[in-house]
Amino acid sequence: MKTMSDTSEIIFSNYGIYDLGDNLELSLPNTLIKFQRISDNAFSYFRENSEGQIIEKIIPVKSNDVKIELAPIRPLNHPAKRTNYVFLKLDKEIHLGENSAASIFVHCPIEIGIFLIYGDNHEPLDWITCSPFNSRFSLYGSPDTGTLCKYAEVSLATDYNDSVSYVNGVMHIVIENTLSFAQTISKVIFPITDNNLYYKDSKSIVDGIKIIMKKRAAVNIAEIKPTLVDTEWTPAPAWDNSITSVHHMEMTLE
Amino acid sequence: MVLELLQSLSEMQLVGELTVLSLLIGGIIMAGGIIIAKIAKLLFHKYYAPSLPKDTAQNISKLIYFGILIISFLGFTSSQGIDLSGIMVAGGIFAVVIGFATQSVVSNLISGLFLIVEKPAKHGDTIDLPDMGISGTLLDIGTFSSKVRRFDGTVTRIPNDKFFTSNIRSLTLSTVRRADAVVGISYNSDIENAILVMKNEILQTMPFVLQIPEPEFRIEALGDSSVNIHVFVWYPKDDWSQAQPILLGTLKRALDNAAIEIPFPQRVIWSGKD
Repeated sequence: MKTMSDTSEIIFSNYGIYDLGDNLELSLPNTLIKFQRISDNAFSYFRENSEGQIIEKIIPVKSNDVKIELAPIRPLNHPAKRTNYVFLKLDKEIHLGENSAASIFVHCPIEIGIFLIYGDNHEPLDWITCSPFNSRFSLYGSPDTGTLCKYAEVSLATDYNDSVSYVNGVMHIVIENTLSFAQTISKVIFPITDNNLYYKDSKSIVDGIKIIMKKRAAVNIAEIKPTLVDTEWTPAPAWDNSITSVHHMEMTLE
Repeated sequence: MVLELLQSLSEMQLVGELTVLSLLIGGIIMAGGIIIAKIAKLLFHKYYAPSLPKDTAQNISKLIYFGILIISFLGFTSSQGIDLSGIMVAGGIFAVVIGFATQSVVSNLISGLFLIVEKPAKHGDTIDLPDMGISGTLLDIGTFSSKVRRFDGTVTRIPNDKFFTSNIRSLTLSTVRRADAVVGISYNSDIENAILVMKNEILQTMPFVLQIPEPEFRIEALGDSSVNIHVFVWYPKDDWSQAQPILLGTLKRALDNAAIEIPFPQRVIWSGKD
């Protein structure tokens, strides 16, 4: 358990659970977060993000035993929640020969959630992004029937510890080509709502995906399914529990 | 006392076998039906409608309301001893007469049913009716007419037959929409550089503009005073206000920052002596 005095000597605050106490100040890249007790039953919340936007809230609390959790969340909220899908554009294409497989790690964008903790309940309070200029939308498909996605150009990572703090998490992708000819993968589109996140200090992991390129009838498709990460890192709470599971993605191979 | 009152009411005949008591019972059945219909509609709107799509909720709500009213009416007629088969025969004859007399009303009713079944637009959709010059949010497809809230806040009632037969342009049916603007740069400016600075400014300062398809730049005309560039950007369908109204300002800011001239209209006049 960390308090403000514990974090005052480090530059940026780690993910984790913090006691509110009377005052708490958290610092993230280009972002400042302050909690201040204004009465026995209320706190004020102040946040200034990397775009200069300021948010202030009053938080009535039921008891003095209030904690907050800073944790990575799915990258779906900035600039506004519009979709459950992400479009990962690989900076280097992956070439897969016939009947072969590859296992890669990529940097997947994340956002950061601030949660109030009452007992076992996590209440979402606010979210931020430390990389707003890389938080954009794209379209997969045609304007009338396509899928709106959050877009990110991603690079390959070496392992789970290779994430850029506060900006992205590492995702494991397994690609299987069961087709009788070679394929080149330059992008991956999938619903990220079934992928949980985990954190340790300022690093994060995103549940992986498995892509199977196969033939179905006369069509070549890429079937994408989420895969759970077996890790001892702390599971991050979900920002939006109301999100229902989205149908697994199938991309038509070009 | 009460029994005596009811007895006397049952003996007071109005027309044929119709008594004051049966009329009273019929009235109570109808009033009860109306009250139950309103309560059922209210409860549905409170507890179930929020979890359903708007148009589905509206249609189910109407079905519940009018279904209960019809059942009440059937209860009313049976309580009066009215034989509906006679009405059916008479209704068949009158329907032809009434059909001619209320042609537009029936046309609106049928068009409303087709609108509900075909769903060219749903409640809450932003639509444009170019034939009528009406744009706005579709509020309701009613029994005889539909309501559209225009962007200035006023509500226009459109008869269903006109709505059904007119061209309907849906502004929210597609996943994304496109905004555009035309900007002119001087003939001395480097076109490639101008496009690059405009593109960078759009992608950096307009977070709702899509990266794919990326912003598109077309040299539209070599105008009298400027090279005109037509800029197209795509954005999520609900975020018009984050794209179209600010696009031109973003382009001007980009050109100003890069010291690229946006020329005024100018004309060079040569006199005969020169």
